Amino acid sequence: MLEIKDIHKSFGKNEILKGVDLTIDKGDVVVILGPSGSGKTTLLRCINFLEKADSGKAAFGELQVDLHSASKKDIHAIRQKTAFVFQSYNLFNNKTALENVTEGLITGRKVPKTEANEIGKKALDKVGLSDKYDSYPSQLSGGQQQRVGIARAVALNPDIILFDEPTSALDPELVGEVLTVMKNIANEGTTMLVVTHEMSFAKDVAKRVIFMDGGVVVEEGTPHEIFVSPKEERTKKFLKRVLPEDYTFYI
Amino acid sequence: MSDGLNYKFLVDTFFVALSGVPITLFVTAVALLVALPLGFLLALTRINQIPILNTFSQVYVSFVRGTPIIIQIFIVYASVPLILTAITEKYNWNIKIYDINPIWYAFIVFSFSTTAILIEVFRSALSTVSKGQLEAAQAVGLTNFQAYRRIVIPQALVVALPNICTATVNLIKATSLGYAMSLQEITLKAKVAANVGYNYVEAYLDIFLVYIILCSLVEYGFKLYEKRLRKYQYVSS
Ligand SMILES: Nc1ncnc2c1ncn2[C@@H]1O[C@H](COP(=O)(O)OP(=O)(O)OP(=O)(O)O)[C@@H](O)[C@H]1O
Ligand SMILES: [Mg+2]
Repeated sequence: MLEIKDIHKSFGKNEILKGVDLTIDKGDVVVILGPSGSGKTTLLRCINFLEKADSGKAAFGELQVDLHSASKKDIHAIRQKTAFVFQSYNLFNNKTALENVTEGLITGRKVPKTEANEIGKKALDKVGLSDKYDSYPSQLSGGQQQRVGIARAVALNPDIILFDEPTSALDPELVGEVLTVMKNIANEGTTMLVVTHEMSFAKDVAKRVIFMDGGVVVEEGTPHEIFVSPKEERTKKFLKRVLPEDYTFYI
Repeated sequence: MSDGLNYKFLVDTFFVALSGVPITLFVTAVALLVALPLGFLLALTRINQIPILNTFSQVYVSFVRGTPIIIQIFIVYASVPLILTAITEKYNWNIKIYDINPIWYAFIVFSFSTTAILIEVFRSALSTVSKGQLEAAQAVGLTNFQAYRRIVIPQALVVALPNICTATVNLIKATSLGYAMSLQEITLKAKVAANVGYNYVEAYLDIFLVYIILCSLVEYGFKLYEKRLRKYQYVSS
């Protein structure tokens, strides 16, 4: 469904992505793990052109694009097929929760307003915010804001949703509600590419786990392969650091 | 000559000064109509570091900010007729340059200086809207134009509004310098009336009153508008 080939990206002299390949099948949840600075965010941002890669190719089903020299039209087409959930939510501050969710439908896709409102309300219901349609972001907790962010992505009915550390800006007690929502939409068959440090989510929900370090994919496999029997030394070191001492892995 | 104020003159001249208000407001409105869009576009060239235009705006802003408006008025009032004369002679047009209504010079000078001020106002306002707002709008499939119109500009405007208000009030006050090019605005009209009987104190009092009323009304209008735009920030949970 989504195939990425050989992405390269540098910021100045700093080479961040050094040739990353990635394949995601329809309905799969793929989790990317990796230490800070390994290029996870940059990878996601290159996929929907928030950042322009230096080279690389992407195939979304039928649609093939060059990640460096895509035309405006291709970029627009890809953004219509993807949705992005940001670490810092990035809800539109001047719009209510419902308007946040419907903005992309009404302005971006010309869906009639009444229809868009119906879709938007359904999406907000799904993330448990039926009573917050008319709240502005400034009136919502971090967890609620991120759930609106997820509803905004879901409402677009994209081929894939890209999540960039959706819970790492949240207070610990709010992480659970967001993860629950993500699990629910994963169970509905949504294709998801998720960067996260939540090992439990990777373990319970991911079909495949990718470990990135230094701008390359070091290792990938099922959660069992990565967590229980990692092959690469770098993977083992990373897991040792992020998993608690007595962490045992059940699957 | 009476000692004390000439009250009849004070009242009469108040209405003379008032009759200059339409010209003052007309010049202000034209200057704003030019400066708001132009200032915004040039602010964008600065934020996005568009080559050449960015440098142009920078030089333009420091030029205008570094010179008194009265000097800008003298320059335009003295040089534009010369340029026009040269042009009309070259093409044999039969236009009487010195019959041109001074309001045209006022339009040029005040549009020019207000644009420079609004470039800076919009630049700082735009930089308060986080990049994530634009990116989120792009990510849900809005074009850049839609993203600016629906998301970025409404938020920047709320931040810019108090400064736009200040710029407008300053502009209204600055048009009083239009007397230097015989613009028939508030100050000139009242001063001309005072010339007859040397009632300058009364005339200045009237000018003072008219500007204070005008500027207070404008400020009040901006406050109301700002309150409406800000509704998404004021609401409390
Ligand atoms: N716009 C930019 N300009 C310059 N350098 C950048 C830019 N964006 C990211 N970088 C650099 O690229 C490197 C990789 O960043 P990236 O955000 O992709 O890492 P990450 O794996 O997402 O890390 P984290 O877990 O901390 O989010 C970092 O060293 C960062 O400083
Ligand atoms: Mg990151």
